[in-house]
Amino acid sequence: MGKFKTDKIESSVNWKSMFREWGMIFVILLIVVVATIRRPAFLSVSNLINILRSYSTIGIAALGMAYVIIGGGMDLSISSTVSLSAVVTMLVINGTVIEGVSPAHATFLALAAGIIIGALVGCIGGGIMAAVNGQMGESFIITYALQIIIAAVANGVVGGKFQAAGYKSGLFKQIGMGLNPVIIFLVMAVILQIILVKTIFGRNLYFLGANMKAAKMAGIKTRQVRFLSHVICGICAGIAGVVVVSRVNSASISQGLNYEMDAMACVAIGGTSLDGGSGSITKTVLGVVMLGVLLNALNLLGVQANEQLIVRGAVVVIAVVLDTLNKKAKLKEVAK
Amino acid sequence: MDKTMKFIKDKAIICVLVLFIIVLAILRPSFVSATNIKNVLIDTSIYGVAAIAMTIAIITGAFDLSLSANFAWGQIFFCYLLNAWGASAGGILLAIVCTLLSCMAFGAVNGIVVVKSGIPAWIATMGMNYMIKGWCLVFTGSDMISTTNAAVAAFGKGTFLGLSYLTYIFIFVAIVAYIVMRYTQYGRNLYAIGGNRISAELAGINTGLYRFSTFVILGLSAGIAGCMYVCQIRAGSVLYGTDLALTCVAATVVGGTPLSGGKGGVHRTVVGILLLYVMYKGLGFLGLAGYVNSMVKGIVLLTVVSFDAFMTQSGTKK
Repeated sequence: MGKFKTDKIESSVNWKSMFREWGMIFVILLIVVVATIRRPAFLSVSNLINILRSYSTIGIAALGMAYVIIGGGMDLSISSTVSLSAVVTMLVINGTVIEGVSPAHATFLALAAGIIIGALVGCIGGGIMAAVNGQMGESFIITYALQIIIAAVANGVVGGKFQAAGYKSGLFKQIGMGLNPVIIFLVMAVILQIILVKTIFGRNLYFLGANMKAAKMAGIKTRQVRFLSHVICGICAGIAGVVVVSRVNSASISQGLNYEMDAMACVAIGGTSLDGGSGSITKTVLGVVMLGVLLNALNLLGVQANEQLIVRGAVVVIAVVLDTLNKKAKLKEVAK
Repeated sequence: MDKTMKFIKDKAIICVLVLFIIVLAILRPSFVSATNIKNVLIDTSIYGVAAIAMTIAIITGAFDLSLSANFAWGQIFFCYLLNAWGASAGGILLAIVCTLLSCMAFGAVNGIVVVKSGIPAWIATMGMNYMIKGWCLVFTGSDMISTTNAAVAAFGKGTFLGLSYLTYIFIFVAIVAYIVMRYTQYGRNLYAIGGNRISAELAGINTGLYRFSTFVILGLSAGIAGCMYVCQIRAGSVLYGTDLALTCVAATVVGGTPLSGGKGGVHRTVVGILLLYVMYKGLGFLGLAGYVNSMVKGIVLLTVVSFDAFMTQSGTKK
């Protein structure tokens, strides 16, 4: 009991380490305060729901990204996976409307198409990563190359054409209506968090991200774990593509543009280290909310899309720098 | 026998290049016409300058993904300055110097972030890529920027012995980089840092300063490439050269410089970038759709880097 107390006092005194740990949240809170003062509507319930609604698709993709990053990898192909899934889903749903398939079956087919596309891309990326047992730098370039290839495939599938929805209403439209995307996002988050914390696979993933060599020596099938993490990431991106199509009622080959960047930003802001081996889905959900709040506040403050690009880039860099400084400080404390 | 095997292994990439050219020459004889060779070499030269800097960075154990955006900024700022000062020769020179300095400044920011905070280069430079891109869009108001400067246009069109002036710039840069990397203390220290940073540090090399300098060189190369590009097309936009950084990485790895650092050389990258461009342009000659072209680019990058990673992995196992 006594020991517990002293721990608490120490942590409350150390402002410096607290800033390093929560610096990103401080900055975002500051922006929120400024935004609320300028536009009181910012903190209204309807606006917050709106933020959640519009960022839930990025959130779904970020959940998968968190898996790959915890495992010490990186997947930049998700932006194209989202586009490809969106395009194919739209083809399927339009096709079934013409064929006169019942709404329930059509929705099931579309969802299945999105998930299968995502899983396939995940299998390719994961298969290559497992085969080469690559480090971060390689997985970065390999998945970037995959992004280019999948984008080209998506382009080839529809010939670059924008696709409008061929349906007026129906079950498929429900996926993206109202709070449904948020519910899908949260349900997936709960499932993925349980898998991450409660299963052997989840614990192996942490181990793999923390130290690949040690994990291998401990008898973990590192290739298998790496492969699975990419497949899960691909499936998440596939589902994100389906949800986004249902929400905006159209599909284009640039649907997933910047998704990889935003997903990575969500994971990093939430406090998951991009070095792998730490973090969680809960943190990522927090990161999604924070990125949504930040970008929405910037919108309300009248910051244009181009300037927002600068902010997004800066946010990722600052989040990673803070994380690294934090780690260094912790190492020093341990050394003492 | 071993010697011949080693020779073939070492020069395999050159053999592939020659084979490619022969096949293309048979399929499409116009590919080896003087005009086409000149044109292919112009494109090769512009990306080649950046690829050489990327090779130096990869040898040191880093890479720069913000090169694409920095290249775009080089074009945009050069066009902007040309429109302002381009009337006199001194003004053009000043515009070139200012463009190069501004690009080096972006490189320096990268260097400071990576060296001081110790975060992986690819995360820092990827964030930086978005920031520079955003800044370019803000600077131009999301538009492209063009210049009607006659002197620059004439330079872009000018040829000497059948090759464009731009190609000579590339050859000059390649030779300087080769000499620096091979025969100076600076170059050898970069190899040492890429091979093993900790032992280089222990040997008394100021690794921070050296790594910082490679990022400044990258910025400089982006600036030079940007200016060369403006000479060629007389315009600047963020949309031009988005594939620059990854093409440079591909050229480096194709040439035979592994991503793990400490090995390889600038001269290999010259062959690498030539091979890539002969292939890309050759595909264009065969009349394939645009997306097939970009798919092939992706597949080449994927194959080459996977193969490189696979070889490194099996190398460390032994």
